[in-house]
Amino acid sequence: MASNQVRIIGGTEGRSALTELRELVGELVASRDLLSQLTIRDIKLRYKQAVMGFGWALLMPILVVSAGSIVRLAISSTAGHGLGLQSLAGVTIKSLPWAFFVGSVSFATASLTGNTSLVSKIYFPREVLPLSCVLAQAVDTLVGGVVVAIAVPFMGARLTWALLWIPVIALLIFMFTAASCLFLSCANLFFRDVKYLVQVLLMFGIFFTPIFYEPGMLGARAYLVMLNPIAPLVEGARLVLMNGHNLLEPLTPGTSGTDVWSPWYLGYSAAWAICGLVGGTLIFHRVQYLFAEYL
Amino acid sequence: MSEPRIVVDHLWKRFRRGERQDSLRDLVPALFRRLTPGRKEPELGANDFWAIRDVGFEVQEGEALGIIGPNGAGKSTMLKLLNRILRPTSGTIRLHGKVSALIEVAAGFHPDLTGRENIFLQGAIIGMRRAEIARKLDSIIDFAGVERFIDTPVKRYSTGMSARLGFAVAAHLDPDILLIDEVLSVGDMAFQEKCIARMKQFKASGVSIIFVSHNMQAVSDLCDHALSLRSTVQHYGSAQDVIQSYVTAMGSEGGTLGHPDVNIGPVVLRNAEGRDVTTATSGERLQLEVTYTARRDLTGVHFGLLLHRTTDGLLVYDANFTDKELGIRQWRSGEPVTIRFDLTATVTRGQYHFDTHVAETGTGVLLARRNPAMLLRVDELRTWAGIANLAVTASARTTERVASAVRV
Repeated sequence: MASNQVRIIGGTEGRSALTELRELVGELVASRDLLSQLTIRDIKLRYKQAVMGFGWALLMPILVVSAGSIVRLAISSTAGHGLGLQSLAGVTIKSLPWAFFVGSVSFATASLTGNTSLVSKIYFPREVLPLSCVLAQAVDTLVGGVVVAIAVPFMGARLTWALLWIPVIALLIFMFTAASCLFLSCANLFFRDVKYLVQVLLMFGIFFTPIFYEPGMLGARAYLVMLNPIAPLVEGARLVLMNGHNLLEPLTPGTSGTDVWSPWYLGYSAAWAICGLVGGTLIFHRVQYLFAEYL
Repeated sequence: MSEPRIVVDHLWKRFRRGERQDSLRDLVPALFRRLTPGRKEPELGANDFWAIRDVGFEVQEGEALGIIGPNGAGKSTMLKLLNRILRPTSGTIRLHGKVSALIEVAAGFHPDLTGRENIFLQGAIIGMRRAEIARKLDSIIDFAGVERFIDTPVKRYSTGMSARLGFAVAAHLDPDILLIDEVLSVGDMAFQEKCIARMKQFKASGVSIIFVSHNMQAVSDLCDHALSLRSTVQHYGSAQDVIQSYVTAMGSEGGTLGHPDVNIGPVVLRNAEGRDVTTATSGERLQLEVTYTARRDLTGVHFGLLLHRTTDGLLVYDANFTDKELGIRQWRSGEPVTIRFDLTATVTRGQYHFDTHVAETGTGVLLARRNPAMLLRVDELRTWAGIANLAVTASARTTERVASAVRV
């Protein structure tokens, strides 16, 4: 099969984005073994010489939950009622996707600049470098997910048909994270200070994402925090698990406590995830010929 | 003949000299500068240069092309263009079949992973399937000769060991086109020979090879054709001819003095029949005639004759002949002296060149030098490698039984 393959380098300007996307998907499928090898490498390295082993996978969510508990305690004391198990469960559920996003983005941002010798010497689809970071982080998140899945039923989570939304939300979070990682990894290659910017954004990002609090607590301004594409996804996950809410139906304050929801929120996040992934991969693919020159 | 495996057509590659803006902090002022009118950059800006200028060549199935040239001539850039790491500024490359590269064979290794784990990782990076690696695993480990350390992290390997392991993985590729860049500089002699043997095997099985090297001997061993590069194609043709002209060009740059006191030339090389030659068979009698013309009155000088092996620069012969022993008493300004060196080409197959100079005997001050003065290619079929032709003849004394067995 290989001998019939003809590859032309150069003179390829003016191809449509669709042709490029098709070529890119083909390349990625062809390099699935490489993607899995790099993911295995990342996971092995993370656990090989680490005393904590798989405890690493839980460290970040546990920290988020602990911090969240303190914040919730403060809020509930001010409001004058006790700290409910329900609100702790909410923080626990949301800590997982957040830890996944933060972990993926912080590893992936340096994935191209950290593999200089590979990128400047050997040809392979460069997308696999940031994507393997996301996949390795996804494995961590799965481990954490098992623990959360065992814990939340005791904290008031309900087994309903609405749980079918969880795979959809997981997929959208994965897509949005992959898109961010592709974009930031190549941005960091061209502008080396991007990684510092990312650090700062991730540090304060938790305040712009409803992890420690629910958007409903913002009252009429709830939509503001929902502008963050991750916000509807984490909030959706909580509503599905804790309230058994069908995400196609809106929620207004009053009907069910302070919770707010609109199906448009989900559509908004989905648009970000899909457009981001298509755009991110296209940008990445178009500029990857410049990687070796700029490294 | 079928269509060539590699067709490079009018290839250009532009690079930028100096610092790029590689932080956002620098980008903002740079964007402002670009927005101000009348400051647009021309096609080739003051800071741009052509690393590759209008290069074209073809490589057939089972053919090896050597790319030679001084440092910074664009050899590695050429390989990166072929390997899709860089994109040409203009021009095209057509590649038929699967391309693999023997460049930085251990680049994908991670020090904390074991040899075995790294084989799978590096194999995947250079484009092998997992199943394929698993099938070839034993053979790879055997080729690298690291059986005892295969489950040891690579960080405990010596440099040579990890290079051997890297090459072993690459040697088990199954490409149609193979790009090779100076991989031979690692590993000991035995391993280098193993590498060369493997490359020849690749070539024999129909793989098209592009080989970038400073080792002229290796290029002339492996390659049919060669291309001497210096941003543009300087010479392109049979490996022997290109290496010859490359070395000649190198020599004319560094091998002559600015204001010599003696003019050297013409130089003539003849065989026993008196014909002008540049090629001889090993052991053949040759006559080298060099004419030296003094530019001032000279006494107490000697004439040096040297022979270098062109492909690797090895000095094969170096001798001086004084004016006294040649019977030159009064060498006046403007007077030509022709010296005939009778010699036997007792060297093995290869590419050589003569180098001659005139120097003051007492002080050793160099008065003139010409290198290369004359090129000599020696053809011979018996020897495989080496320098000197020992004029060996072999004969055997056997019993009748052994002799008859040999005949069978």
